[in-house]
Amino acid sequence: MSVDFLHPGEGAAIDTDVPALELRGIDKRFPGVVALDNVDFTLEPGKIHALMGENGAGKSTLIKIMAGVYGKDAGTIRMRGREVDIKSPRDSLKEGIKVVFQEIALISEFTVAENIFLEGYPTGKAGSIDWKKIRADSAALFNRIGFNVDPAARTGSLPVSQQQMVEIARALAHEARVVVMDEPTSSLTPNEVSLLFTVIRRLAALGIAVVYVSHKLDEVFEIADTVTVLRDGRHISTKPIGEHTNDTLIQDMIGRRIDNLFPRKRGEPGSKVALSVEKLNTARKLNDVSFEARAGEVLGFFGLMGAGRTELAKSIVGYDPITSGTIVVDGSRLVPHDTRTGVRLGIGLLTEDRKSEGLMGELPVYQNASLASLGAFARMGFIDKAREHRAVQDYVDRFRIKTPSLFQQVKNLSGGNQQKVLISRWLMRGLKVIVVDEPTRGIDVGAKSEIFALIDRLAGEGLAVVMMTSEMPELLGLSDRIAVMCEGRLTAIMSRDEATQEKILNAAIG
Amino acid sequence: MSELTHASAPRRFIGGQLLGSSQLVLGVILAVLCIAISIAAPQFYSEANIIAILRQCALVLIVASGMTMLIITAEVDLSVGASLAFVGCIGMAVLNSTHSLALGMLAALAFAGGVGLFNGLVVTRLRVNSLIATIGTMMMLQGGVYLFTREAVQNHNQLTSFTDLGAGYVGAVPVPVILAALIFTVAYVTLRFTTLGRYLYAVGANEKAVRLSGVRSERLKLFAFILTGLCVGVAGMILSSLMNAGQPTAGRGFELTVIAAVILGGTSLLGGRGSLFGTLLGVLVLKVIDNGIIILGWNQDLQMVVPGVVIILATYLDIIRNRANVR
Repeated sequence: MSVDFLHPGEGAAIDTDVPALELRGIDKRFPGVVALDNVDFTLEPGKIHALMGENGAGKSTLIKIMAGVYGKDAGTIRMRGREVDIKSPRDSLKEGIKVVFQEIALISEFTVAENIFLEGYPTGKAGSIDWKKIRADSAALFNRIGFNVDPAARTGSLPVSQQQMVEIARALAHEARVVVMDEPTSSLTPNEVSLLFTVIRRLAALGIAVVYVSHKLDEVFEIADTVTVLRDGRHISTKPIGEHTNDTLIQDMIGRRIDNLFPRKRGEPGSKVALSVEKLNTARKLNDVSFEARAGEVLGFFGLMGAGRTELAKSIVGYDPITSGTIVVDGSRLVPHDTRTGVRLGIGLLTEDRKSEGLMGELPVYQNASLASLGAFARMGFIDKAREHRAVQDYVDRFRIKTPSLFQQVKNLSGGNQQKVLISRWLMRGLKVIVVDEPTRGIDVGAKSEIFALIDRLAGEGLAVVMMTSEMPELLGLSDRIAVMCEGRLTAIMSRDEATQEKILNAAIG
Repeated sequence: MSELTHASAPRRFIGGQLLGSSQLVLGVILAVLCIAISIAAPQFYSEANIIAILRQCALVLIVASGMTMLIITAEVDLSVGASLAFVGCIGMAVLNSTHSLALGMLAALAFAGGVGLFNGLVVTRLRVNSLIATIGTMMMLQGGVYLFTREAVQNHNQLTSFTDLGAGYVGAVPVPVILAALIFTVAYVTLRFTTLGRYLYAVGANEKAVRLSGVRSERLKLFAFILTGLCVGVAGMILSSLMNAGQPTAGRGFELTVIAAVILGGTSLLGGRGSLFGTLLGVLVLKVIDNGIIILGWNQDLQMVVPGVVIILATYLDIIRNRANVR
């Protein structure tokens, strides 16, 4: 391996007229679906190009074709004007395309430096690996992206944000001309995000074409030069970011207009306190958290990663143990502190982690919906299935849950419809307080507005909704009051009218 | 949309739950086996032989009924074979000293239920993986039985009611078959029609979701362990009646036969999926193979080899069928 990568731009001038990568007429079929249909995608060197679309739009398929994970069924790929044939991830890397997947593909037991030079260790005399050179070269690479990671650190011990930097350094080591970042911010803190953005801009300044795959609008507006939107496997639009607004971008992604993402139909909350939490402490995180939530109110909780929102959510419903404090639901104390008592008193959690804590994926829709209220359909322990099915069908119709039948395995539904099934589970039980943790995580933009409308409706029906969210628009759009957490403490509670992004962020930093 | 859902419901109800999963494959295998064996050896269809097969099925089916419930909750019990032997010895010893079948039976059930309770507590309270926990119990029981008795506990009383437990008949049907049918039916109804059965599936499919829904998931698992234990209690007494003694060496490998039958019947070791009807077919297939090998005069060592092949084959066919369904 040469050492050119330490000083690229200096030798070869970047020819900005020739696209760094040009995909033309790409088709890709899987059994039963057309994943990509005649898609064009052109990348200019030194530009950051956002690739957007809902789940199933074809983003992943497209970048997997670029990465050589999938072969294309039709179309051509040109690197700097020269047609290339990418048959494997190895070919892709050789042509100068580096894809940083969401699931980072580093060997966690290896050191950072070992990972960077995985494809070809520089060798010294007698063919032995030149460790000194590897370390030095790694350090030089990190220098160029302006971010320092210890080359000798064991990769698995690093946070995701730093592992991404290792991947980016690998891209430079391979003299990549195209770097694809696949949903890179999904598990980063705001601080890490801004660092990542600095590094990405630096890559662009080096003449590298960056593809930024995301469905977060605000990020795309912040970083991208150009946006390409895919929908149902087809190319919808490619425009400079300046020609887009939030609305036009969403419209391109979902194919229709959403007039108001946060329709408010409910009235003002009542005065009845449905949930009262006092001086709640847990062993690891929560520190004297006290608040009240009223019937008919959406109380939004904001906080940075690690602030303790999920811990709070799980402990107020009785799922995670507490060390001290009182929780009063609809006038009765949650004692003993377990979910059985919690559900009886009328508090339940809509989990952030649908797959591992909410859904019974293998089981049919109707069994998932009725799980918390089986007793209501039973006589002497025997389930009256006809009644159960009618009740679930009622919710399927009311919430427009898209499923071929009640007997469909719930894992085959889309994220939005799964979430509606889980909301039905609680509504069938009849709650006083529902705690929703990241209600729109992994849900398409189009389906998001439906979930928002449902949450609005829950509050409208008199439930107290305690909503944990890390999405600022969601927080501001839905909440009656906003609570902010930082490192396990409650740092502010404000009404929607007095809340501003700055106030909230300040409180979140502590 | 809703009409469509209602229309497809009943069809799915019968076709899906009774014959939907691996049962169809298994039913075909069973039919092919029966036809093939009876062509090669016509005495296969004699009344005496059929009753012999059913009697052999009974012991396995009794324990497999409990085991199916347990595996549906995503746990497993490997100690049932060792417990079976121990239970026989204890039941026989109590029977000898008290001259009462009821007390002997009670002692057997108490011991076996206690083993289930122990397993259940280790798994749900200490959070030891059930595979490991019950291997531990199995070793303790295998060694423990020799601390209890060095040799077979002989039957000193010759109570006819005790002998009938294994060897008796009601009409033309052996008593063990009736007991097995009874236990099977209760378990089947529980799994299919009751809230308890639904919760057992739910716990296996996603324990956290069940707990968040306000159901005490540990209790459900504990219950399934105890139930499996009680089934072993019944089977252990039948076995000692058949052998007219409590044999500390009995039951070696029994746990594998039981688990093989359950898995063969399409119950997933990952939990949340399975049916007792499948288990019944699984038991029948294994025992028909056993019987066929004897009737055909093949080498008896094949009794282990052939079921091994069948399990792999049946599971593979199931995977193929699933794949075909997805496409």
